[in-house]
Amino acid sequence: MSKINKRPPSQKGVQLIAPDSYPQIMGRQEAARAMLTLRSAETAARAQVAMEAAIPPMRAAILQYVDEMEQAAGDTRKLFETAHEIRGFAETAGLITTGRIAEILCRYMDDMTRVGKPFDTAIIALHASAIARAARAEEDDVRMGEVVAAELAALVARRLSGTP
Amino acid sequence: MSGAGFENLKALIVEDNAHMRSLLRALLNSIGVKDIAEAAHGQTAIELLRERKSDLVLSDLAMKPMDGLEFTRYVRNHENSPNPFVPIIMISGHTEKYRVEAARDAGVTEFLAKPITAHTLFSRIAEIVERPRAFVRCDSYFGPDRRRRAIEDYAGPRRRKEDMQEVDAR
Repeated sequence: MSKINKRPPSQKGVQLIAPDSYPQIMGRQEAARAMLTLRSAETAARAQVAMEAAIPPMRAAILQYVDEMEQAAGDTRKLFETAHEIRGFAETAGLITTGRIAEILCRYMDDMTRVGKPFDTAIIALHASAIARAARAEEDDVRMGEVVAAELAALVARRLSGTP
Repeated sequence: MSGAGFENLKALIVEDNAHMRSLLRALLNSIGVKDIAEAAHGQTAIELLRERKSDLVLSDLAMKPMDGLEFTRYVRNHENSPNPFVPIIMISGHTEKYRVEAARDAGVTEFLAKPITAHTLFSRIAEIVERPRAFVRCDSYFGPDRRRRAIEDYAGPRRRKEDMQEVDAR
């Protein structure tokens, strides 16, 4: 049996609808302007501000999810849902390690569910504990960093203004 | 140039997490999209699609009672769908291959893995704006063409099930 030939792929019963045959997201002129907007430094700066503004409430939410995850011990469904929320935006909130551990836990639970095998409760407990410790440590680091940065900025401002 | 091109765009965010909804709204605002509706799951999103025109949908995957896959299938295939062609960017932390394939087969236009960044979101929007895809209608699927590239002089192996049947029959 040869799997190689030079005929075009089968198109039996297939209707192909070209992009100019259905309504587009915007017209061509608008699209050209939109692409400039998407690639502009001004847009990148505005987006950066938006991302930074989102971080504090996200961090607070993750710490709340961590509390919920600890309370959900034994309820694997609830634990998976909470870990999934954490992996969804921990990294966006700057809690990189937390997000990565949550990702590993979610993949483990997802794979075990797919192959129909029971969870190893020790693996789940270890991950849940690691997520909680990472989230709190990263949050402490960030707070400490913010305090130090604010104090150094105040010191420099005082020196520059001539105040001893 | 602030927001040029996007000022008339109407977007719909379907996401059960309020923090993610807020972030997505802020990122859309940063490119100039002002008219944004929000839904916490697929059912509300369908009602919103009926009530108001939407040019772009950003949807989460895992939601209750109607998830992003069911929502996408409804939009693409239901006879009462208000806009079967609307671009849908699915945003999910569920990045396992089988879930991404399920999203593709439901008819999403783009898939974006969480954690998101402004760059990754904008690159998906740019794909939709700059390189709109043909739609395919056949017995088992309606949605954007799942082949990213059409190779006119393709001479390699034909892997589709029906191709194999044709070759076997000879």
